[in-house]
Amino acid sequence: MKSVLSYSEDVGLAGEVSAAGVEVANALGLEAIAIELDVVSVGLRPSGRVVLVQGGKTLEDDTDLAAASIVEVAKAKGSQVLLVGDTRFGRVVAAKVAARLRMGSLGNGKKLRVVGESLVVTRDAYGGKFLADVASKLPCVALVQPGSYSASEGAAVPVETITVTAGETKIVVKETKQGRQAEAGIKSATVIVSAGRGFAKKDDLLLASDLAKAIGGALGGSRPLSSDLGWLGEDQQIGLTGAYVHPKLYIAVGISGQLQHVAGIKDSKVIVAINNDKQAPIFQVADYGIVGDLYEVLPALTKLLKNG
Amino acid sequence: MKLFGPEHERVLLSLYGDAASEFDDLLRSFSAVLEAKVLPLSLGLDQGKGDIAETRRVLFDQGLSKLSYPERYGGLALPFGVYALAMELAGAADASTAMSIGIHNTVADAIAQFGSEEQRRRLLPSLLSGEKLAAFALTEPSSGSDARSMSTRAAKDGKYFVLDGSKMFITNAGEADVYLVFASTPGGHSAFLVEGSNSGLKVGSPLREKLGMRGSHTAEVRLERCHVAAEDSLLGEEGAGFEGAKKLLDSSRVIMGMICVGIARTAYLKALAYSRSRELFGKKLSDFQLTREKLADGVIEMNASRLLCMHAARLKERGLTFASEAAQAKVLATEMSARTCDAAIQLLGGYGYTTDDVHRHWRDARLLAIGEGASEVLRLLIASRELEPKT
Amino acid sequence: MNIVVLLKNAVDEAELRADPSGHPILKGAATKMSNFDKNGVEEAVRQKEEHGGTITVLTLGGADSKKAIREAMAMGGTKGVHILAEPEAAPDSLGTAYYLAKAIKRIGEVDLVVCSEGASDTYQGQVGAMLAELLDMPFLAYAKKVEVVGGKIRCEQGFERGVRVLETKLPAVVSVLSETNVPRYPTLLQVMVASKKAIEDVQLSALKESDYPETGFEVVALTIQPVNRKRLILEGQPEEAAKKLLMALKQEGVL
Repeated sequence: MKSVLSYSEDVGLAGEVSAAGVEVANALGLEAIAIELDVVSVGLRPSGRVVLVQGGKTLEDDTDLAAASIVEVAKAKGSQVLLVGDTRFGRVVAAKVAARLRMGSLGNGKKLRVVGESLVVTRDAYGGKFLADVASKLPCVALVQPGSYSASEGAAVPVETITVTAGETKIVVKETKQGRQAEAGIKSATVIVSAGRGFAKKDDLLLASDLAKAIGGALGGSRPLSSDLGWLGEDQQIGLTGAYVHPKLYIAVGISGQLQHVAGIKDSKVIVAINNDKQAPIFQVADYGIVGDLYEVLPALTKLLKNG
Repeated sequence: MKLFGPEHERVLLSLYGDAASEFDDLLRSFSAVLEAKVLPLSLGLDQGKGDIAETRRVLFDQGLSKLSYPERYGGLALPFGVYALAMELAGAADASTAMSIGIHNTVADAIAQFGSEEQRRRLLPSLLSGEKLAAFALTEPSSGSDARSMSTRAAKDGKYFVLDGSKMFITNAGEADVYLVFASTPGGHSAFLVEGSNSGLKVGSPLREKLGMRGSHTAEVRLERCHVAAEDSLLGEEGAGFEGAKKLLDSSRVIMGMICVGIARTAYLKALAYSRSRELFGKKLSDFQLTREKLADGVIEMNASRLLCMHAARLKERGLTFASEAAQAKVLATEMSARTCDAAIQLLGGYGYTTDDVHRHWRDARLLAIGEGASEVLRLLIASRELEPKT
Repeated sequence: MNIVVLLKNAVDEAELRADPSGHPILKGAATKMSNFDKNGVEEAVRQKEEHGGTITVLTLGGADSKKAIREAMAMGGTKGVHILAEPEAAPDSLGTAYYLAKAIKRIGEVDLVVCSEGASDTYQGQVGAMLAELLDMPFLAYAKKVEVVGGKIRCEQGFERGVRVLETKLPAVVSVLSETNVPRYPTLLQVMVASKKAIEDVQLSALKESDYPETGFEVVALTIQPVNRKRLILEGQPEEAAKKLLMALKQEGVL
C-alpha cells in the first residue's frame, strides 16, 4: 500500500507532523508512516506506524544523510506525500528530498488538505499580511509549522527497522559550538512576555523576565534580540523567521511591530503592546496598548501581580 | 517612510526622458541611505540630541557635494537638477543637515567659480569630500536684506587685508574650517576666505532660541582686526564680491526651495498616514471632504513648487540666466512649505500641536522664507524685471 | 574566485495593498531586493574583496528585477544575468532551482554560490538546497560566519538545535543570515558606474529542457488576513495604566 510519510528531527514537532500525516493519509486512503532516524525518540507520540532508519553513521547529524534515508523509505513505501517539520534543518532536508525525487515542496504549512490530485497547503504570504493556498500535484513534499497540528496520544506502535548504507558526507563537522538552549517552551507557552529593541541593554531584560515569572509565562523576543544582539537564544525568537506562537496572552514590550514579527503572533488570543512610541505599528495589531516607558510600566505590572 | 516616491520618478521622466532611469537608480539608492542613516536621527537633532556632523558625514560620504562637479574632482558631472532633487530628498530626511550642507556647497561653488587656480587646488578637494566645512558670512546684525549697507570693512595693509565687523545668523558657525566673509572695500564689496583658526575671527555663543533648524549650529561671527593674506584670501576681483554673491544666491535659492519641498513632503506624509488611521464620527479622518481638500492642496503645491525649482535648475543647466525663476521658485516653495506643514499640524490636531515630531517641520520650514533672500526682496526682484523697459 | 550570488526581486510587503474583495493587488505592486539577499550580496562582495575574482548576480524574475540587479552591482557585483520570468507565471521552488542551475552551468567554472535564508515575501527557504542538489554541490545552510581558505569553505551553521562549525571543499553553495553581515550602502558614484553596465537577458525557453520537473504548482487562493484586534489604548500614569491592563486581562479570562 502507498503511504504518507512524516518526519521531524524535533520530538515534539514529530508528533504534530505525524498527526498531520494521519489526516492526509486518511483523506487519501493510504498508510501513515512516521520516520525516525538512528533511534526512536523517547516521548515520541506518533500516529500510525513508525519506520526507524539506521545506518553506519548518525544519520540525523547531516542533512544529506537524513535526506537520503527519507528518500529510501519514500521509494520503498511508495510515498505520495512527505511531510517534514518546518525547522531550519527540516527545510533543508525537505528541499533535498524534493529535489532528489523531482517533487514540488511547499513550505510554512499551517493547514493541509487534499483536493483532487493535489495537496493544498495554507500558509502565510507577503510577510503574513495575506493567507495563501498553494497546491502541488502528488507526489509532493510539504513542511508543517509547529503548533499547526496537535500530537495525538499515540499508543506504543510497532517499529519497522530499515538499514541503509550511509554514503560519504561531503561536509565535515569541525566543532560543536553550542548545543540546544534550555527549552524556553515558547512554542507551547500559554503566556509569553516578549522583548524588543526598546530595551537598552541585556541586563534590562530582567524586567521582562521578572514580569514573565510573576505572570507565569515564558520569555521570548523579536529577531534582533536573539540573532543580532545575542541577548536571547535562537529558540526564543518569535516571528516569521523564528517561532509561530499560540499563547492566550502575548505581551510585546519595546517591540515596534514589524510585519515579520507580527506574522508569528497572529494566533494569540489577546495581544498587549507596551511601547513609548504611539506611532509604533504594534498598536495596530494589539488588543490593549500602553503608550509609556517600559522601564516604568513593567515594574508597575510586576508589583501589582505579586501583591495579588 | 519612503523618501523617493512616484512623484520623483515621474518628475525625472517628464524632465529628463531617456536619462531618467539612470538618475532614478541614483536617487533611489541615495534615499535608502537617507532612510537608514539620517532620517532616524532627525527628531533627535531637533531635540538637542546627537551631532549634525554625523548626518552630514553620511551625505558627504555618498558624494552629494560632488554631484555636479567634473570627474577630475571625483565628481559625477551630473546635471544641477539631479543635485536639486537630491537636496529635496536630503531636506525630507533632515532639514538642518540639508541646509547646513547646502550652504557649505555654495561656498565650494564660489571657490570653483571665482577662485584662483591655487585657491581651488588648496580648498576644493577637502570641501567636496567634507573633510573641511565651510560657512557663508554675508548677513550682519544690522543688514540682512539691505546687504549693500553692510558695515564690515576690509582695509588694505600691504600684502594683507584687515577685516573688522560682525556677521550674524551664520550657519555652521564654530564648526567651519573656512568662512566666506563679505566686507566692503574701497571699490565696492569683496569676498574673503578666512580660516576658522584665524585669531581675528571670533564666534559668539550659539543662538539658543531658534524656532527651528535646531540641528544646525548658528551664531554671530565677529571679525576683530582679522588679518588675512590678500593673495590667498581675496576670492575673485576686489569690489566684485557683490555681483559674485548674487550669482551664487540664484543657485542656492533653488536648493533652499527644494529643501523646503522635502520638508513639506515629510510633514504631508505624516498627516496622510494619520488621516488614514484616525477615526471619528464613525468614519476615518480621510473620509471627510475638508481633509481631502487639504491633502489635494498639499500635493498640488508641492508639485508646483518642485517643478518651478526644477524649471530654474534646467535653465541653469542650459547656461541661461535664471535669477527671476530662482526667486519665483524660492518664494513659492518656502511659503508653500510653511503652509503645508501648518496644514499637517491642523490635520494631526492635538497631536500635531503637542508633538515635536510634527510641528518641527513647520518650525524648520519657517526660516527659509526669511533667509537666503527674504520673500519681500525676491518679490521686488521679480517685479522690477517685469517693469524693466523692454527694448 | 568565480562567485555567483542569487537574489530575488520581491514584493514589498509593507506597500502591498488589498482590493475590496481582499486579494492582494500584485500587478504594479512595489518591489524591492529581498532584504535577506542584501546580506548574500554583501557576503559575496566581501569574499571577492578578500580573494579576488568576479561576481555574477543572478536572478529569475520580471522586468523590475533589473533594479535589484543594479543595486547588487553597485554594491560590488561584476555582471548581471536576468532570467526573464513574469511574476504571474513564476515557477515554484523546484522550477526556480532548475532554471538557476541551468544558468549557472552556462557560466562555466563557479567556485561559490551565495544565497540567503529565504525570500522576504514568500520565505520558504527551499531554493538554495534544491539548487545545491541540482549542481551536485555541498550546501552550507544558515551560515552565521563564512570563511574561505585554501579551496575550502568553513562556516558557523545555526540550526535551532545548536551551532556547529562545518567545512567542505569548494565549489559549494552557502546560504547566509541577516546577522551574518551588515550590507553596505553604495556611494552615488558606485550606483552610477553600475547603472551603465549591461545585464544579460536569458529566456526561460533557452534553459528549459525535457528534464524540467512539472510539479503542477498552482496558487489556488490569496486573501487578506484581517486584523480583528480591539486596539484599545489604556491611558494614565504607569501604575494607573498597569492597573487598567490587569483588570482588562482578568475580564478577558487570560490571567
